[in-house]
Amino acid sequence: MWKKLRNPVLLFSLVFVSVAGWLHAADTAPQSVQVTVRSILAGNNNDEFDPKLKGLEQQLKPLKHRSFRALKDETQTIPWQGSKAFEIPGGRSLTITTREFQNNRIGLEIRLTQGDKPVIDTTVKIANKGSIILGGPAHEGGSLVLSISAAAQ
Amino acid sequence: MSQCDAIQESIGRWLDGELKATDSEAVRSHIAGCPDCGAARRRLEKIHSTFGGHLRAEASQLEFAPFWREVRRRIDEKRPWREDLFEWVQSQLTAPRLAWSVPAAIVLVLGLISFAKWPVDGQFSNYASVESIDTHGRNVALLREDETKTTIIWLYQDPEGENENVEEATKSGPAF
Amino acid sequence: MELSDWQLVEKCQAGDADAFQELVSRYHQKVFMVILGLLHNREDALEVAQETFFRAYRKIRSFQGGSSFYTWIYRIAVNNAIDAQRKQKRNPLDFHENIDGIFAARNEVANDPFADVHDRELRENMSKAINELTPEHKAVIVLRTIEGMSYKDIGEILGCSEGTVMSRLHYARKKLQDKLRAYL
Repeated sequence: MWKKLRNPVLLFSLVFVSVAGWLHAADTAPQSVQVTVRSILAGNNNDEFDPKLKGLEQQLKPLKHRSFRALKDETQTIPWQGSKAFEIPGGRSLTITTREFQNNRIGLEIRLTQGDKPVIDTTVKIANKGSIILGGPAHEGGSLVLSISAAAQ
Repeated sequence: MSQCDAIQESIGRWLDGELKATDSEAVRSHIAGCPDCGAARRRLEKIHSTFGGHLRAEASQLEFAPFWREVRRRIDEKRPWREDLFEWVQSQLTAPRLAWSVPAAIVLVLGLISFAKWPVDGQFSNYASVESIDTHGRNVALLREDETKTTIIWLYQDPEGENENVEEATKSGPAF
Repeated sequence: MELSDWQLVEKCQAGDADAFQELVSRYHQKVFMVILGLLHNREDALEVAQETFFRAYRKIRSFQGGSSFYTWIYRIAVNNAIDAQRKQKRNPLDFHENIDGIFAARNEVANDPFADVHDRELRENMSKAINELTPEHKAVIVLRTIEGMSYKDIGEILGCSEGTVMSRLHYARKKLQDKLRAYL
């Protein structure tokens, strides 16, 4: 058998099938997605940057607020094509549904509600282990900023 | 094709001992009784004996000691590294190895494609796309932070106003 | 007790230079004969034969005994000779000068069965006819004529099938017979 494997064509075919299988497997839907939502208060009362938000400085830079304070962090594991609701300060709720996994990017449906009222519905594709920022609603004299990150499992 | 033509086609293999026993016997017995095929056999044998004899005579005059001295001199001589590299490259470019270059190139291309799909440490691209958005009457801005490529969906606080804190951010234009 | 070729190879691989010398002594004339048959020039053949053993020495560690040592060394020799042939810029007439020189030398060889001058014309025209063959056809004729090798062994040395060896030999012999008919 090993002698036969020295045939370049046969070996190439084996390698090609393995790599194709690996690539295909890499795009197979994950069993679940771990989603972390970080609720942040962006304001202009002072110049403080909450140390708990270390790592997010660059991502929050475009917002031009002078201060950023961590309000709440919540992590949940969402089963594939399932939904989970995250409690957001100010009587809000963020519902995230996992939809798609392609080219190592996760498709999410995101709905932010205030009580029963929908604030925003959006469908996004973010990089696996990447994040997106959703912000703007008024909160405690500043603006609410949500950092949503997702990792396929 | 006559029988003699067929036999003469096989004389070479018969002399080389590469015919099956039955075929070999058939050729031998035909040649024994056929002057033309016998002559063909002698011509072939003459070619081989003349050519071979000449070369054997030449080789018999080759003395070992000077030959070995020269081989030894080459072994002991230090060659420039460029020659060794050139020899190695030349040895790789043989037909069987060239056949490997095709699957190797394909595997390399496939590897590059798959590699491009996954982020490399230190080069993570946080690129996100917004497929659809419904802000229920509110204005929205899409921004992208330059360094980490993080997408920001900024919802204005009321349908008509603008949040001054994102004034500069909106000047950078929509994310897409 | 005389060591086998493979035993000598193993000793070479372990760094025994005397073992390599023994291998050279066993095969130097045969290798030279094959190369001379392909190049038809004594000086070139000598140079290529020495280079063959030098390259074999450098590659000996990678020889794993998949084939016999003589098949391996002949393979190196034939490849070197074919490479040299491609680089050969000598006029074919130079060969005839060499042939004259060879005749002068051969007449001194006591046991030369072909010292007959009548064969001189045959040899001269034979060299021309063989030189007109392609390197691949020349190689099969040389290996079969000198070494009496089987088609299988020749195929192993040249990296082709037994069928290819057979058809090349048949073609080469036919060509030689056609060109040398008047002298045979």
